[in-house]
Amino acid sequence: MKLAKVLVPAIALMAFALSGVPVQAAQKVKIGVSMALFDDVWLTLVRDAMTKWGKAHPDAELTIVDANNDTAKQTGQVENFLAQGMDAIVVLPVDTAATGPITKSVTKAGKPLVYVNRLPGNLPQSVVYCGSNSIEAGIMNMEELGKCMGGKGNLAILVGELSNEAAIKRTEGIKKVCKEKYPNIKIVREQTGNWKREQGKTLMENWLASGQEIDGVASDNDEMALGALQAIKAAGKLGKICVGGTDGSHDALVSMEKGELNNTVFQDPVGQGEKAVNAAYLLAKKESNPDVTDGNKIWIPYQPITKENFKSYMK
Amino acid sequence: MANPGVITAAEAAKRPAGGQMLASIFSKYGIFLIFAVMVVVASLLSPAFLSTINLINVVRQMSVVGLIALGVTGVIVSGGIDLSSGSVVGLSAVVAASLAQSADSSAPFYPGVHLPFIVPFLAACAMGALVGWINGGLVAKTRIPPFIATLGTYTAVRGAAMLYTNGRPISDLTDQYNFVGQGALGSVPVPILILVVMAVVTHILYARTKFGKYVYAIGGNEQAARVSGINTGRFKMLIYIYAGFLAGLAGLVVSARIGSGQPGLGVGYELDAIAAAVIGGTSLSAGGIGTVAGTIVGALIIGVLNNILDLMNVSAYWQQIIKGGIIVGAVILDQLKHRGGK
Repeated sequence: MKLAKVLVPAIALMAFALSGVPVQAAQKVKIGVSMALFDDVWLTLVRDAMTKWGKAHPDAELTIVDANNDTAKQTGQVENFLAQGMDAIVVLPVDTAATGPITKSVTKAGKPLVYVNRLPGNLPQSVVYCGSNSIEAGIMNMEELGKCMGGKGNLAILVGELSNEAAIKRTEGIKKVCKEKYPNIKIVREQTGNWKREQGKTLMENWLASGQEIDGVASDNDEMALGALQAIKAAGKLGKICVGGTDGSHDALVSMEKGELNNTVFQDPVGQGEKAVNAAYLLAKKESNPDVTDGNKIWIPYQPITKENFKSYMK
Repeated sequence: MANPGVITAAEAAKRPAGGQMLASIFSKYGIFLIFAVMVVVASLLSPAFLSTINLINVVRQMSVVGLIALGVTGVIVSGGIDLSSGSVVGLSAVVAASLAQSADSSAPFYPGVHLPFIVPFLAACAMGALVGWINGGLVAKTRIPPFIATLGTYTAVRGAAMLYTNGRPISDLTDQYNFVGQGALGSVPVPILILVVMAVVTHILYARTKFGKYVYAIGGNEQAARVSGINTGRFKMLIYIYAGFLAGLAGLVVSARIGSGQPGLGVGYELDAIAAAVIGGTSLSAGGIGTVAGTIVGALIIGVLNNILDLMNVSAYWQQIIKGGIIVGAVILDQLKHRGGK
């Protein structure tokens, strides 16, 4: 009896171990994700979408790590992923100009690699990119903002972090529209606010104090635009200066509802997060992915958010 | 005896008139002269610089870093360093903001919870003091170098802020809360008032109380301070707690300024605060040297620099290079004058 008491559970345990666990472990697709930064509002939404995707796919195992905005750290994390035997790797790069070592080590190990959100300067055909075409955001932002400005006046541009592809391309899009569509809009100020609300506010305060006449502010993201709006409000110039942002964040929509922010652009964090890990998953399973276009790109489209349609983006 | 700052001042007072006195004036007020020169140059470069609204902007924009720098000065004087203050700003900002959302918030953190302003205010200060207490405990009890101890809290506290909000901003704050960062009493913005009050309080604390004397004594010569009966561990704890409290208060001010508590707030502020203290004459290499007035001027120098570069529309790339150069240049000049005075 005593023996049976010990043996029965032991055998049951062993049977369980033999039947369930190993089979499951063999089937699970292990995906390593290195995020440039956890500490960012919008990037958190991307991360949440990935986690949610992971919960919906029990045969996949996601490991998400924070690179703390440090390129060297990110490279090390990817090396660790390879050492841990990940089946596919997803990277939201810290610096789009410094992805070379990551691309090299992953392709050398023969593992699938997917970059998300920030387009690396150098992207070999075998590597997939999932994101939105940043220049589009700048174009949509400025087209809508230009209408508000009546096609003329002085424009200030709040630029994101200077080393980011999104900052460079969105600014490029803004300038492109000014040049081609609104020749009477003059760019008088252009400065980086590092994506931060606080810095957008400080810059706008200083610009207003400098005596420069400003009729519109085009911002590479919503946070800086909201900061600029606070400075405008404090100077009593609300309604006299049009402000346009990018991201379509919750706070931006609330501001639009109050009639403060003129427009923004929706960049779909859920689409980017989900499609990126999904692409990595399909690559690891060697299945085809209908989302891929242009050979190795998954484009998640931007959508302009205007006074007319903003309500449909509010939950 | 264990206080070099006092010795220098006493010696300077005893010096005879003439060239030596001039030299000692330079050695004592060097950084103030550099600041004055900067203001003159700035006003020549941009006519908008001396406008009232711009001058208010400069001080309001530097007030957050100034608050942190007041505490950091004390920590450096005691022979330590505090790298955690920027992260404390983030943590206290999100904790305070989560307790200060208005009733009509569309994304309430604690649905149905509406507290009087005193609660988030105390929470911000308490969060800061708590981290300071941990810093002080690590430094005083485990004896690990302050650089390492506060580097640890720098990382962990930022993580805690992220964890608390899951990386999201907490917005829709009450008007009372926002008043702290955006409001004005008469024509003086509230952040400036807070800075002035805390600067005066901190000056009295450092220069007029036994606590201050002990902090300088510990920084000047910890061994001697201990032998002469000072409970060095206890006073080290207290100075870190005070620095943490000020960083927590700074977190409240900056989140009120932008009307949103964000876990990423205050990134890099610890370095600006240390720079302000050091530009203002606080010595990183020898403890026991540093003043509140110097630190305020140091913070003002950084503030004027940021402001004039924006006013003149200097390109963002050049701004960083110029800032770095001027910060180092100001300290070199100040040190040369110190050497000339001795």
